[in-house]
Formats: sequence, structure tokens, C-alpha cells
Amino acid sequence: MLPIQIDYKRCNGCGICEKNCPGDLIYSDEKTGLPYIKYPDECWFCGACRIDCPKNCLDIKFPLTSL
Amino acid sequence: MHSEHFIQTDVLVVGGGSAGTMAALEAKKQGVDVVLVDKAGIYRSGCGAAGNDHFLSVLETGPDWDTPEVFLKWYQRLTQGLVDTKIAENTFLKRSKQLTVELEEMGIPMKEGEDGGYIRTRSFAQPGDYFINFDGRALKPKISKIAESAGVKFITNVAVVDLLTNQGKVVGAVGFHIRTGEFYIFQAKAVVLATGNATRMYENPSGLPFNAWHSPYNTGSAQAMALRAGAEVKNPEFVNYTITPKNFSASALNAVVGMGGYLVNAKGERYVFKYHEKGEQGPRWAMPWGTYWEEVEGRGPCYFDLRHLSDSAKKHLIEHLLPVDKNTFMDYCEQKGIDPGTDLMEVQISEGQHPAFLGSVSGIFVDEHCRTTVPGLYAGGACAVGIGSLAGSMCFGQAAGAEAGAYAQGTEMSELVQPQVDELRELTYAPMSSRGDFNYTEAENKLRQIMSDYVSISRNEEGLAAGLSELKALKKLFGQIKAENGHDLMRTHELRDLLLISKAITTGALDRKESRFGLSHYRRDFPETKEEWHKSTHLSLKDGVLNIRYVEPYN
Ligand SMILES: Cc1cc2nc3c(=O)[nH]c(=O)nc-3n(C[C@H](O)[C@H](O)[C@H](O)COP(=O)(O)OP(=O)(O)OC[C@H]3O[C@@H](n4cnc5c(N)ncnc54)[C@H](O)[C@@H]3O)c2cc1C
Ligand code: SF4
Ligand code: SF4
Repeated sequence: MLPIQIDYKRCNGCGICEKNCPGDLIYSDEKTGLPYIKYPDECWFCGACRIDCPKNCLDIKFPLTSL
Repeated sequence: MHSEHFIQTDVLVVGGGSAGTMAALEAKKQGVDVVLVDKAGIYRSGCGAAGNDHFLSVLETGPDWDTPEVFLKWYQRLTQGLVDTKIAENTFLKRSKQLTVELEEMGIPMKEGEDGGYIRTRSFAQPGDYFINFDGRALKPKISKIAESAGVKFITNVAVVDLLTNQGKVVGAVGFHIRTGEFYIFQAKAVVLATGNATRMYENPSGLPFNAWHSPYNTGSAQAMALRAGAEVKNPEFVNYTITPKNFSASALNAVVGMGGYLVNAKGERYVFKYHEKGEQGPRWAMPWGTYWEEVEGRGPCYFDLRHLSDSAKKHLIEHLLPVDKNTFMDYCEQKGIDPGTDLMEVQISEGQHPAFLGSVSGIFVDEHCRTTVPGLYAGGACAVGIGSLAGSMCFGQAAGAEAGAYAQGTEMSELVQPQVDELRELTYAPMSSRGDFNYTEAENKLRQIMSDYVSISRNEEGLAAGLSELKALKKLFGQIKAENGHDLMRTHELRDLLLISKAITTGALDRKESRFGLSHYRRDFPETKEEWHKSTHLSLKDGVLNIRYVEPYN
């Protein structure tokens, strides 16, 4: 399971989450221009990607071992 | 061949977190050219990326405790004289009151009290309510915007690898773009290091190494670069631990004890009093220390207990502090199925790291003008020893920027030494052409295994010596790590820095034949705190060897 889950029906591809991520884990898909997490194992669960999302379409899901 | 960028500036600030952004802004105010470089995006980067909730400030509102004098006396006791309080005096105490007002003018909600005043709380044995509870979710983007608008040139997604020197002076730095791999050469009259703390060298209780108390993307670069450039690092053997919710490295402890929350063991007993007379109001180290012994002696698991708090205290904690301090706090609670107000919340001892929280004594050695021992090189924030915390780092950064700006104004630009640039270019890209078949994750896992097995909570002579030789063996394998792209290259250089930091921790710990600051340095073979060891370790690097000198405490 990915630590961040994006609702692509609502995402507008603005790229804010990609710019915000302090570990540079989020990239944009070259074809669709939409974000995806390329390095899920390196997530800090900080919420910086979600905090400024204008569409409120990003969820954080904790892996079982971090609960 | 990677394309190259050459950038000349008066002041170069490395690391655009809480301290670096303030350093750049302050240097700019001196009227010099300033470049701020960060491997992340600056607007949301570093430990304060997603917000902070406690702002340390001495406001001089009347009571005795709210004065610089009382604060300094307490800080001296907290750090056991291992930190020169002149730094706190010159950086933090001269600026915290003013900065509080400035933040408010910027639109950061500082006065959150129902009466329109500040809400102030205390924690960690403070003599007064120094922590303003505030809504700092917008703090990082706001100060970044102000710095950029003031004319600071931002260079983002560039990881700095090493400093450039000429005749014993720092004259610039080199780095690379973490996506494109392009090479960056910076020439500057003064450099301010502000890359924060050091994490990821110890195993994480959740098994997820990036699930760290402080930012996992801070890997002690400044400390490692400073050592390689000839500067000194202080007291690395004191590794810091805190208490976090089970499997989730949120730095919630400050908020919890600040609001009067308890720590209880499996029998429901408040146990911290057994280990420190002030209980949960004692210094931070008392809590991991007590929790360790409760667990070792069979009284774990341990818990945060907030059930006794008033409804308004619970509301403040759950709505205003915890989810501002760690943006995902309530997601964790929800997904774990607990309500922090009514349920006990299991806790753990966090992974070890080098964060400069208030009272930390480890990092780059600087004087009260934020100068390292190398001309042209300044440092501020969590990477240096001075004053920790968010507000402490911001003020420390501000002071470092002001000092570096003033120095740059009176200095000529020095030449770069071309063979040194060429050598560092080669070193930077070596992992891209490595013929080895390790990836950075495998090598980093090995580092964590070594540090956790031999150099963590329970230390002894033989274990530390074994750790040191394992680290040497791992260093030999470093050339066999293969990087496929800019991201891999960034993580590989992070590991290079972590290897040096780990060696520094182990070297300091092996020599210090006593125990001090609870779990931070607990030698099973020398369990007592000894007067003859009441001094600071200063490490420097020469020809690949770490040398120690000891410095008497400040009184
Ligand atoms: C979740 C959380 C909540 C916190 N809340 C509080 C609080 O409420 N109150 C409080 O007092 N303290 C708090 N702290 C601590 C506080 O945030 C830090 O002490 C402070 O941010 C340190 O500032 P800094 O500038 O030294 O480091 P950081 O702000 O972490 O900045 C370091 C910067 O350096 C960059 N960098 C690292 N290596 C390199 C490199 N090689 N090249 C280029 N750039 C690099 C990073 O990307 C980062 O931007 C909190 C910490 C965390 C993690
Ligand atoms: S939670 Fe933080 S680390 Fe994880 S993807 Fe979002 S911004 Fe990046
Ligand atoms: S910030 Fe939100 S809307 Fe913008 S790209 Fe990311 S997920 Fe999509």
C-alpha cells in the first residue's frame, strides 16, 4: 500500500505536492502530468504534500508497521 | 558529462530550513548578494516543513523567570556547562522577543489565547512558560516568500556535497541537482552551514528508517562538510532519544508534557518520578531513561495518559497542538483506532539521532559570532551547538546570517582552487560509474545495523571497538554503491556523510569513560557520571583520522 493516495478524479496536476515534499519523493507522470510517489519507502508521513493541496485530494495511509 | 553551473555570491547559505532561511534574509538585509541552496524546495523543507506549534521566547513581561538572566542560568544547568551560553545570549536572547512580534506582523497566528494574548506553557524543566503555543502551519512558506522577495536567490533541488577551501579559508561549495545531476560550483566570500540535524544512522522501531522523529532528509551534511573542511564538531557521542507514540515518530512529547500529560507504565503507575525529581516536568532525557528501565525491568509497555486533563486542555492539545506539530497526528490516531483524550496511547523510545532540541550539546563548534574555527565558515541552527528548538534555530540562523553578511562586506572574493574543484567533481559522480552492485539502501541498512548493535543505548568498550572496525569495513565498500540517477546519488552522498558522523559518534563514545545525559551516552562498563569527564569532546579530521581534544566546561 502506498503511503500517499491521490484521488486522480479530483487532482488538477498543479504540482504543489511534488514541490512540497521535503524528500523529493513525488514525481509527475510524463504522459498524464499527474503526481505519483516514486519512492514510497522513503516517506516521512509529514503531510507536507497534503497541507497545500488545493483540491484536498491527497490522503496519508500509514503502513501496518507504523501503527 | 554533466552540464555545469557556476554561481558567484557574497554569502552562500547551505540548507534552507528554519535557520538557513532566516540566515539568508538577514545577510541580505546587510546589502550583500545572497544565495540560498537546498536539496529540497525551501518553501516546505526541513523539520518545519509541515508546521510547528511551540515558539520558545523570553518576552520580559514582568515575572522573574521571563528574563534573559533566569533563562541563561537554567540553560547553563540543562547543558551542564557543555555549551557556551554566550551563544544563546548573543543569538537567541537578543532576538526572540523581536522575532515573536515580527512573525505576528507577517500574519502568523501567535496570540491564540481566548483573551487575545499568548498561550504560554513550559516543559523539560524550564523555570517558566517559555513556549508560546502558536499555529505555525504557514510559517515555513511565509518566511521563504519574504526571503525570496527580499532578493535572496533560491537554488532548489541541489544537494551540496562539500566545501571549497583556499589557504585554510572557505571560499565556496559544490553540489549537484538531485534530478538532472547537473553540477553546481559556488564561489562565495562567506558560507553559512544550516543543514539541520543528523538522522537515519540508527534502526527505527517501526522498521521504517524514514519514519524519523526529526526530518529523515537531514543527514548531518553540515557537520560532515565542516569536519572535512577542517572545522570542529563537539560532543558527537551524545545521541538523542525521545518518547514518541508507538511506531510513529511524531515529536509529541513537548506538547503532551507541556499540557500536563502523564507517562504511565503497564501497571498504571506514573514512573518518571523514580528517575527524576520533577517527573514529567524534568528534562527530556529523563523520560527515555525512565521508560528504558521500566521496560527492561518488566513494567512495559508504557503509555501517554491524558485522561485526567480538563476538557479544554484536551481540546487545545488535540485540536491545536498535536496536529500542528505533526500534520498527520490525527490520521495516525484514527488509523490505529485510538482517541488520545480517552484512551492510553502506547509510547516507545525513538530511534537515536542528533537533533538539536533545546539542551542538545552536539554539533558544529561555533563561537558567539556563529564562527567555526575555519575563516569564512559560519553555522547556525540544529547542525551547530548553540541553542536548539525552532525559535532558537531561527534566531541562531539570523545571527549567523548577520555575521556572515558583515564579514563578506569587508572581504575580497578569493580564487577557487581548480584541482580541488576537479577532484570534488570526480568524487561527486563516482557512484554513477561504480562497477559495484550494492544499492544505497543495502549499504545504509548495514550502517544502521552496526550503529544499533554496537553504538546505541547500552555501550561498552568492546562493543564500541567492534563498531568502529565494522564502520571501517563498511567505508571500504562505499565505492561499490551504484547510483543510477540523481536521487540515488543524493542518498549515496547522504550515506557518505552519515558514515563520518557515525564514526565521530563511536570515536567520542569509546573515549568517554563515564555515562552522562541518561541514554544519550550510557556506558555499561562506566555507569557513573564522573567529575573528571565533565568536559566537551572536540573532534577534528586530519588525513582521514578523527582527533580529539577536550575543552573544559563553561561556568
Ligand atoms: C515534526 C516536527 C515538529 C517540530 N515542532 C517544533 C516546535 O513546535 N517547536 C520547536 O521549538 N521545535 C520544533 N521542532 C524542531 C525544529 O523544527 C527544528 O529544531 C528546526 O527546524 C531546526 O532548524 P534547522 O534550520 O537547523 O534545520 P531544518 O529546518 O531541518 O533545515 C535543514 C535544511 O537543510 C537542507 N539540507 C540538508 N542537507 C542538505 C545538503 N546536503 N544540501 C542542501 N540542503 C540540505 C534540508 O533540505 C532542510 O531544508 C520540530 C521538529 C519536527 C520534526
Ligand atoms: S508525507 Fe511528506 S515525505 Fe511523504 S510523500 Fe508527503 S510530503 Fe513526501
Ligand atoms: S497538490 Fe493536490 S491537486 Fe495539486 S498535483 Fe498534488 S494532489 Fe494534485
